[in-house]
Amino acid sequence: MAAFCIRSMLLRNLTCQNLISADPTLTSRVLVCHQQVRGRRRTCKPPSWFSKRRVSIKQDITPENAKFIKDVIIETYKKPESPLKDGPWSRGTWTPRTQRTGVLAIKLGMLPQWTKDGKKFITTLLQVLDNHVINYTPPDEFAKSMGWKPYWGSKYGSVVVGALSCEPHLFSKSYNNLFAKAGVPPKRKLTRFLVTPDAAIQPGTPLNVMHFRIGDYVDCSAKTIGHGFQGVMKRWGMKGGPATHGCTKAHRRMGSMGGGRDKAGVWKGKRMPGHMGMDWRIVKGLKIWRIDTKYNVLYVTGYSVPGPTHGYVRVYDTVLKHKREHLIENGNPPPMPTFYPEDGKEPIPEEYLDDELFNFNNESISYATEK
Amino acid sequence: MAAPCRKIINQFVKRSLKCFEPRVIPCRWSNTVRNHTVEKHRHSPLSSTRELVNQQDSPSDVMVPREFRFVHPDFLPYPVWNRRDRVREKLEREDMLKRRAVIDIPEFYVGSIMAVTLADKNAPGKQNRFVGICIDRAGHGLYHYFVLRNAIDGQGVEIKYDMYNPLLLKIEVLKLEKRLDPQLYYLRDAPLEYSTFRLDMEPVSVLKGAQVPLNAIKVKMNPRPWCRRWERHNLKGVLPLDDYITEKMKKQKQHPQIEKPWEKHDLMLKARTSIDDREVDQIMTEVYKRKEKIQKEKFQKRGQEGKREVKKAQEVKK
Repeated sequence: MAAFCIRSMLLRNLTCQNLISADPTLTSRVLVCHQQVRGRRRTCKPPSWFSKRRVSIKQDITPENAKFIKDVIIETYKKPESPLKDGPWSRGTWTPRTQRTGVLAIKLGMLPQWTKDGKKFITTLLQVLDNHVINYTPPDEFAKSMGWKPYWGSKYGSVVVGALSCEPHLFSKSYNNLFAKAGVPPKRKLTRFLVTPDAAIQPGTPLNVMHFRIGDYVDCSAKTIGHGFQGVMKRWGMKGGPATHGCTKAHRRMGSMGGGRDKAGVWKGKRMPGHMGMDWRIVKGLKIWRIDTKYNVLYVTGYSVPGPTHGYVRVYDTVLKHKREHLIENGNPPPMPTFYPEDGKEPIPEEYLDDELFNFNNESISYATEK
Repeated sequence: MAAPCRKIINQFVKRSLKCFEPRVIPCRWSNTVRNHTVEKHRHSPLSSTRELVNQQDSPSDVMVPREFRFVHPDFLPYPVWNRRDRVREKLEREDMLKRRAVIDIPEFYVGSIMAVTLADKNAPGKQNRFVGICIDRAGHGLYHYFVLRNAIDGQGVEIKYDMYNPLLLKIEVLKLEKRLDPQLYYLRDAPLEYSTFRLDMEPVSVLKGAQVPLNAIKVKMNPRPWCRRWERHNLKGVLPLDDYITEKMKKQKQHPQIEKPWEKHDLMLKARTSIDDREVDQIMTEVYKRKEKIQKEKFQKRGQEGKREVKKAQEVKK
């Protein structure tokens, strides 16, 4: 039976799937089929394990009842400041191998900023809206779960982070149950981060922009803008054919392919028309220039953060070694596992600026006094 | 009842029922939140980072002068709907106002003659002053820029300045006036006398509150070749170009695909490339209030400093 399952999965071209036996006594036996596949799954159909989240709302509720439901929902989630049910977990210490959790931000667009030398550069604004930790799974348990990949070994646990609280009656029961542990309203979007066990974080912990600090480097991963099915000129930047001189039906086609003596034949990965965009892309090593704590906005280097305006962006500590060096050398590790209000004793200022960044409150830059 | 009639009614009912079906979000937008949804979450009582509506920001019955929006076109945001965001625009405006509190950015238009002082490491006095006519003014928010043109040693020179660049030390308007066209790039193909201004030009004073004078000068262009096809631009500040262009060019100019007579009636184009009047009013009210507040603070500071100086002087006398 298992062999049949694996074969059927191979046919379906799934990259990775773990099979857990239905018998609860045998849960420790995990059948793993991991096969690397070139490219990505290009289909609009949801995967087989995907359950329906949204529930259609019944239309026959009177406005008074609808308001009553809303009030009840707000009251049930109105809690004292700390949503943590049991005592707080102990906080780990940061080591160079530590991988902390990230946040799920929304891209707001780009703005120019100036350095103190008068150099103009572009920054991308990322807003961290209403983020909470939903679940933490330690490494040994995580290895038994779905979506685990064998090359991760037992190094990482997983943290599920959700953004944008919604009303629970919009969702199915199974989806709402995911949030019971954290004690927060169901979220519009969930994402998962791999973390090392020393960065374990309690479900229900709110995450905000203070998770990062000025001068730190982050990676951003998001889905790029979708362009749909595109031709070869737009997708790969090929030249197309001539506009005139007797050219028929070949103005935007690619040229010949498959020629060549030894290399003849169309090789795998040949650039052809197809679906463009809507791919996961990671941009690494972006510096944080400015933090706005009032609106929870990060100003990050460059205009290359993937995705459109108001797209979800996963923001986490960079994996680039040379951009983590300053954390080790200067001995100022980031807040572990995240920033808690008691860490900052003074009232948090509304804005943090990098030392090299020009503050618009300051006088204009002039070199006349340098002599 | 005839059968086709019933068919039509059925179709109509089906179509009207469609709007009650749950909306299916296309795959292309599945990783994106709509603008109104983001706004809903920002103000939602369920949200832990709830943004409270500040009553000071809401528009009230402050009378903003009608010219205010034409004096400050840089405060209008980028009009493309799917790239707009309220919080980003607000943060942008805040930066602009902060900068405006430090440096005095006067009222000017395309056609005004201006002098700009810029900090420059490599200049002899560590700063550089340039005088010229403003031939263009564009960009939204912090991206706003203007272009100055002058002829120096018989050579046309144009410099583009970012308005919010911190290297700008001083912006002076030597002669405040308007021209007939929104852009004066055609001065490139006109004799240099039209774009020659003395670097030591003295400012022309204008009465406060008076209307901005319109310079209705008509420029006589050089013969072709030109950097653009000026005959197609419907320029108002230029003498007729008929002597310079051929019959074929005249015919081409009247071609509907080039003339595009429908564009002035295209409401969708207008909606796509401009911002709604009500929203402009809202933005301008906010900016106007903030500017007044900043000015008041400035006056108070000056007053306090003046008092201190007077006190010091008195003490010294004693």
